[in-house]
Amino acid sequence: MKLKYCGMKKTLTILFCLLFCLKTVAQTVTISGVIVDKATGDPVDFSTIQLEATEQWAVADMNGKFVIKNVPVGKNRVKVSCLGYVELVKIVEFSKDVTNLKFSLQADNLTLEGAVVTAQENANSATTSRTIDKTALDHVQVMNVADISALLPGGATKDPSLTSDQQIAIRAGSGESGSAAFGTAIEVDGVRLSNNASFTNSSLSGRSGSVAGASTNNIASSNIESVEVITGVPSVEYGDMSSGVVKINTRKGKTPWSVTMSTSPKTKQVSLSKGFGLGVSDRLGNLGVLNVSAEYTRSVSEPMSPYTSYDRKQLSVSYSNMYNRGALHDTPLHLTIGVAGNLGGLDNRSDPDKMLETFLTHRDNALRANLNLNWLLSKSWITNVELNASAVYSDKLQRENSLYTKTTTTMALHSAEQGYYINSDYTPGGNTDAVLLPKGTFYNIMALDDRPLSTKVTLKANWAKTAGNINNKVKVGVDWSTDKNFGVGEYTEDMSTAPSYREWRFCDVPAMHNIGAYLEDNFMLNIGRDAHLNLIAGVRNDNTVIPGSAYGVTSSLSPRFNAKYTAFTPRTRSREFLKEFSVRASWGVAVKQPSFAVLYPTPSYFDIGVFKSTADANNMVYEAYYVMPRTINYNPALRWQRNRQAEVGMEMNLGGNRISLAAFRTLTVDGYNRYTDYERFGYNLTTEASVQGLAIPAEDRVYSVSPVDGTITVSDRTGRLASVVAPNTPTKQFVSSYSEDNDDNPVKRYGLEWVIDFKRIKSLNTEIRVDGTYYGYKSVYTDMVAYCPATSKSADGSPFKYVGWYVGGNSTTNGTQTRSVKTNLTVTTHIPKVRMIVSMKLEASLYRYSQNLSEKADGSARSMVITDKNNNMSFTDGSVYDGPCYTVTWPEYYSSYDDPTLRPFGEALIAASKDADKSLYNDLADLIVDNKTYNYTFIADKISPYFSANFSVTKEIGNLASISFYANNFFNNYAQVYSTKTGNWSSASGYIPKFYYGLTLRLKFN
Amino acid sequence: MKKLFKFMAIAAIAVFATACFEEPEPEPGPGPDPGPGPDPGPTPVAIFGINVQLKSEGANFAVEGIKVTLTDDAGIASYDATTDANGSVTYQVPAGTYSASATYKTAEDGKRIAFNGANNNIAVAEGSTSFTLDLKKVVSQQIIIKELYFGGCQKNDASGAYRDDAYVILYNNSEYEADATDIVFSLIMPSNAHAANKYITDGKLMYEDLGWIPAYSAIWWFTSEVKIPAYSQIVIAIFGAIDHTQTVTASVDLSKPEYFWMSNTEIMTVFKNAKYKTSEAIPTNHYMTTFPVSAGNAWVLSVNSPGLYIGKMPKAEADALSQDKDNYDKTATLTVAKFPQDKVVDAVEVFDAGNLAKSLFRFPSSINTGYVAHTGDQGHSVYRNVDKEATEALPENAGKLVYMYAMGTYNVLNGTGSTDESGIDAEASMANGAHIIYSDTNDSGKDFHQRVQASLK
Repeated sequence: MKLKYCGMKKTLTILFCLLFCLKTVAQTVTISGVIVDKATGDPVDFSTIQLEATEQWAVADMNGKFVIKNVPVGKNRVKVSCLGYVELVKIVEFSKDVTNLKFSLQADNLTLEGAVVTAQENANSATTSRTIDKTALDHVQVMNVADISALLPGGATKDPSLTSDQQIAIRAGSGESGSAAFGTAIEVDGVRLSNNASFTNSSLSGRSGSVAGASTNNIASSNIESVEVITGVPSVEYGDMSSGVVKINTRKGKTPWSVTMSTSPKTKQVSLSKGFGLGVSDRLGNLGVLNVSAEYTRSVSEPMSPYTSYDRKQLSVSYSNMYNRGALHDTPLHLTIGVAGNLGGLDNRSDPDKMLETFLTHRDNALRANLNLNWLLSKSWITNVELNASAVYSDKLQRENSLYTKTTTTMALHSAEQGYYINSDYTPGGNTDAVLLPKGTFYNIMALDDRPLSTKVTLKANWAKTAGNINNKVKVGVDWSTDKNFGVGEYTEDMSTAPSYREWRFCDVPAMHNIGAYLEDNFMLNIGRDAHLNLIAGVRNDNTVIPGSAYGVTSSLSPRFNAKYTAFTPRTRSREFLKEFSVRASWGVAVKQPSFAVLYPTPSYFDIGVFKSTADANNMVYEAYYVMPRTINYNPALRWQRNRQAEVGMEMNLGGNRISLAAFRTLTVDGYNRYTDYERFGYNLTTEASVQGLAIPAEDRVYSVSPVDGTITVSDRTGRLASVVAPNTPTKQFVSSYSEDNDDNPVKRYGLEWVIDFKRIKSLNTEIRVDGTYYGYKSVYTDMVAYCPATSKSADGSPFKYVGWYVGGNSTTNGTQTRSVKTNLTVTTHIPKVRMIVSMKLEASLYRYSQNLSEKADGSARSMVITDKNNNMSFTDGSVYDGPCYTVTWPEYYSSYDDPTLRPFGEALIAASKDADKSLYNDLADLIVDNKTYNYTFIADKISPYFSANFSVTKEIGNLASISFYANNFFNNYAQVYSTKTGNWSSASGYIPKFYYGLTLRLKFN
Repeated sequence: MKKLFKFMAIAAIAVFATACFEEPEPEPGPGPDPGPGPDPGPTPVAIFGINVQLKSEGANFAVEGIKVTLTDDAGIASYDATTDANGSVTYQVPAGTYSASATYKTAEDGKRIAFNGANNNIAVAEGSTSFTLDLKKVVSQQIIIKELYFGGCQKNDASGAYRDDAYVILYNNSEYEADATDIVFSLIMPSNAHAANKYITDGKLMYEDLGWIPAYSAIWWFTSEVKIPAYSQIVIAIFGAIDHTQTVTASVDLSKPEYFWMSNTEIMTVFKNAKYKTSEAIPTNHYMTTFPVSAGNAWVLSVNSPGLYIGKMPKAEADALSQDKDNYDKTATLTVAKFPQDKVVDAVEVFDAGNLAKSLFRFPSSINTGYVAHTGDQGHSVYRNVDKEATEALPENAGKLVYMYAMGTYNVLNGTGSTDESGIDAEASMANGAHIIYSDTNDSGKDFHQRVQASLK
C-alpha cells in the first residue's frame, strides 16, 4: 500500500509542476452587460453570472447590470442563474472589452418544456453526481430530505416518516456493516451536519449494529431549492466522509411571497418565505438580498392515536451581497451569512385513556450558522480566495417520565466506583451511591442532555488558467473542524426515586479537532471542436487530535483521481444519431472520523448482587451490590474508517435517448468494531436464606456490608441483641471488558447504475425514464471473538466458568452476501400549455438475493452439518450450503475460570463425550452455537419480484398558485412474494410502501 | 372531506337499509319442491341422522345413560344425548363438522375413575353418519393443581396490570395424607397456547408418541420433605413471596409462613429478576430450587395462557434431567428438556380468551384434553371445579357444603367466561369444615373454570 501511495504522490507532483509551468496569458478584458427577463424584458436583479473556465463571477445590481474585470481573452463557458429562472449556459469567446452583453432568463415554471421531475445527471462532473431541483422536490412533495433517495437510480419509496430518525446512506443497503449512513456527508448551504460529537448515535455491539448518520428530520423541506448527490468520488475538498456527499441548497435570491400548505394523513406543513431586495444606498451601493423563511411541520406516527408526534418549527434568515466599491472596485467581495434555527422534536405521550402520565420527549432543536466570503482577485497567480465558517449547535435533550410500581423497597445504584454498596435511605444532599427506593407507585423523570456543537472554518484559494486548448484549475485549502459536546449526559429530576444510572458527563470529554489540508488540480484539454479530456487529481491530509485524551494524533491521507473523456456533445452533433459520448473513471480514498460514541462508549457497570434480605412485615428489603466498572480499553492506535472507491461511467445520447451508466466498487476498511474480553472476578454471596430466621427481628435489623469482602453483618437497631455475621458463599464468575478497535475484515460493495431517458414523445408530451441499479454486498467477519454465556450455570451450580473463542463471534452465521436488481419506470407527461405534469413511477424489485455465510478467513467451513438435530456429536463432512440442514458452530478454543490457557474445543468436547465426563460435556455443550430450529439458515434467499406504483400530479394555476397531489402504492398492492429460503409466501407490504397520499398548495404573490 | 365521508357513509347505510327492507328473505316452510323457477327460495337444509359409538380400549363402552355432547364447529349449536345400553347415541343434525365429548365417572378399588374423551373431527355428510368416541380411563390423582393465579391484577391507579404475584396451589384430593416431596413443576412449550407451535406436524404433537413432553425454562423441586394432609393444600408463590397488597390492593398476600417459594436457594446467579423476593416469615425449608433449562432471568410463566404441569420424580433425577444436554430438544426456538409423560401427575391447559381461535392444545390427550379460557390483568385465576357427586357423597360433609357459588365468571349474555357448574362454593364449604373433592378428568375444560378473584384474595 505504501508503494501505491508513493506512486500516486509522484504522479501528483509531476502533474502539478507541469500545470504550474503553463504559459500564462496576460491579456485580459472587461465584460459588462445586463440580465433581463426573457418574457418581460425587465432586469433580473441579483442574478449571478459565472465564467466557468476562469472561475470569475459577478452579481447583477438592481438594474440587472454586471461587470467582470480582468477576464482572460478566449472562450469561456458563461453560466447565468437566478432564483426562479432557468439557468442559462452559453459558450462565449471574449477578445476585447464588451459592454453590451445581454442575457435573457426564462422564468422557471411548467410552461417550459424542460421541466423535469427526476434526478438529473450533472453532465459536467467527472464523477457520478446528480441534482434534484425544486420542480422535482415539489412534485413528489418531499417532507424529509431523506426521501430523495427514491429519486436516485433504482431508488425505492419508503413510508414517509418524521417520528423516527431518517438518514441517507449512499450506495448501501439496510442492516449492513460499515455504517454507510454515518459515512455520508450531508451539508446544508455548506454547513456540515455532523454526528461526530454525539455520544448516543452508536448501536455498536461487537461488529453488529452501526454508527448512525446525521438525521435529516430537522431540515426544513419547503425552503430547499435543490439537492446535489455525489455518489462517486468527490473532490478532496470534502473530508470526514466515506460514502458520498449530499449537498442541500436553500433558496437564496429575490422572490415573491411564497406560501405552502401541505397535508397528508400523518403530516401537515405550512411555510412562508420571501426574498427581499434591500435596495440601493448612495454610499454603499447595493444593499443585498435578505431571504426569510419560516416553516411549521407536524407529523404523527398514527393518525388515529396522535400521541406520538414530531414538530419542526424552523426560521431561517440569510443575507447576501456583493461589494465592489472603493478598494473592492476591481476585486469584488461576495458575502453570504445565514442563520437557521429549529425548535421541535419528538413528543411521545401516553394515550389519555391509559391513565398514565408517562411521556418521552426528544428535543431536536438546532441552530445552524454559516458565513461565506468569496473574494474575486483575478490575479495572474490567484483567482479567488474563499473563507467559510460554519457552526451547528444542537439541543437533543431527552426526557422520559416512567411509572414504577414497587411492592418492596428496592435499590438504585449511582456509584461509579468499584466496591461493595448496600442501600440506605435517601437524604437530600447526602450520599447517593446506593439509594433505598420506596415501595409504592411513583413517577420519575430521567433526562439525557446531549448538546453537540460542530464548527468548521475553511480557507481555500483557486487559480484558473487557460492556455490554448488547456484550461487548468488549481484548488488549495485548509480546514479546521471541531466537535464538542456541552451536554451533561444522563440525570434525574428527582434522585429520591431515580432508577440506577451513572453520571456520564459528555461535556467533560475534550473536543475533537481535525485539521485538513488539500490540493487539487483540475486539468481540461479541449480536443477539436467539442471533445475534451478532464483530469482531476487531488490529495487530502487529515490530522485528528483530541487533546488530553488517550488518543494521539491520527493522520490519514486521501488521494482521489477522476478522469473523463468527452468525445461528443449535443452542441455540435444535434443532427447525428450519436449525439453525445463520454467515459469516465474515478478512484479515491475517503476517511471518516469517528464519533464520540465510538471513541468514548458510555461506561457500563457490572452490578453484581451480593446480598438480598428477606422482606420484613413492611416489605422493607435491603440489597447489597458489588459495583465493578466495566473496563474500557481506549485504543490509541485506532485508525479511522475509510472507503476505497473505484468507479467507471459512461454517458451517451443515441438519437435523443440519453443513457448513463456507472459501475462502482467500494471497499470499507478499518471499520469500527467493539471487542469483548473477559476478566475473572470473585466475591462473597449472601442470600435471603442466610438471614431468614435470625434472632434479631426483621424489623429491627440493620444490614451493613464489609467494603473489603462483602460480608453482611446484621445488627439490632434496638441494641438488645448482638450483631451477627451472615454466612456467605464464595462465588467466582467472569465479567466482560471491551475495547474499540478496527475491523480487519473489509466490507465489499459493488454495483451498476443505469439511467435511460428516452427521447421525448412530442405528440404525447411524454417522457419515459428507466433507471435502476444492480447492487452487491459481501461481508464476512473472521476475527477471533470471546463469549461467555453469562445466563448459563455450570454443572456444579456455579456461574458459568468457561469462555469460548469463536471465529467471527458466537452466532451461527458470520457473514452475509446480498445482490439485488431494482429498476424503476417513470412516465412523465408534461403539458406546458396547461402547465401540468403528471407522472407515474413503477418501482420494481426484479431480483433480491441474500445468503448467510459461515466461513473462516481462508474460506474453509466454520459450521458443521449435523444429522440429528438433538445430537451435537452427529456432525458430518457436508457443507452448510449444500441444502437444508441443521448446524452446530463450535468455538475454536475455550478457557476456564481456573485455567485461562486456550485449549482446542473440539478435542475436549469429543473426549468428554467419550470419557463420559458428563459435567464437562454438559458445560462445553453450552458453548456450542446450534441452529436446530430452522434448517434453512444457509439457503440462498431469493425473493420473487414485487412492484409498487406511485402517482404524482402538479398543476400550476397561472403564476399565482400550484397544486400537487401524490399517491404512493396507489394500487394498494398487497400481492404475495415468495421466499426460496423459507418456502413461504408473504405479503409484499413488508417490502413496499403502504398506500399513502398527500396534497400541497403553493401560493405566490408580491 | 369529513363531510363528504359522512355523506357517503349515510348514503351507503341508507342503500343497505333499503335493500334489507325491500327484499326480505322468503320464509322457508314445508311443501313440495317448487322445482325450477324464477325464485326458488333458499335451499332446504339437509338433516342427517348420525350415530356416535363410545369405545374404550377398542371395545364398545356399553354403559347406558352417559351424556354425550355434540358441538358444531362454530361453537354455536350444541346437542346432548344419552347413551343406550350399548354405549351409543344418535342425533339428527345438519351437515357440518362437530366435536363430541363425554365423561363417565365411576370407582374401582376405592379410587375415583373417570372415562373421558373427545372426538373433534365428526364430519357429518351424505354417507358419513357413523362415528366413534374413544374414552380414556383416568385414575384420579391424589395431588392435583387446585388453582393457578398467573394473569395479574389492576394497579391502584388503573394504569395497568401488576403481574409479580403469581401462585399455584396443590391440593390433596384424598382422605389420606399425601407426600409431595417429589412433586416437581414445569411448563409446556410454547409458553403461550396461541403462539406458533413448532411441535405440531399435520395437526399432531410430535412428542405425543415419543413418551415425553417439553419442560420449558426450568423444572422446580422442593428442597425438604413436604406432606399435605387430607383434603388440604399448599401454596407456592412463584415470584414474590411477599404481601403484594401493601402496594396493590387488588393483589394477594403471599407472605404466610406456611407458603412455599420458587426461588434458587443456593445462589442468585440465575433467575436474577427483581421480582424474586421473599418474606422473612417463610422458612428456608420452604424455598424451592431449580436448574435452568434455557436462558432467561425468570421462570417463563405466561401471563396469558400457560400450560403448567406437575410431575413426580426425586429431586436428583429432576436435577440430572435438567442438566443433561443429550436430553434436550430444540425443535422449537427455545431449548426444552424432555420430561417423561408417565411422570406427569396433573396439568392445566389455559387458553387466552382473546386468542381462542389461534390457540392449540399442547398436552397429549393422555395427559390433558380441553382447556380453560382466561382473561388476563383482571385478578382472575383458574380454579378447579368441585366433583359434586363425590363431594356430596362424603358423609362428613352433611350440612357443611355451601352452594350458590358466585365466584365464577360465566356471562350468560355473551357466553363468555366459565363457572363451576356444581354450584358448590368450595372455599366457603372448606371454611365451614367440609371436605372437597375436586374434579379430575384430565380435561381442563371440565376440571377448571375462571374464578373472578384469586381464592387467596
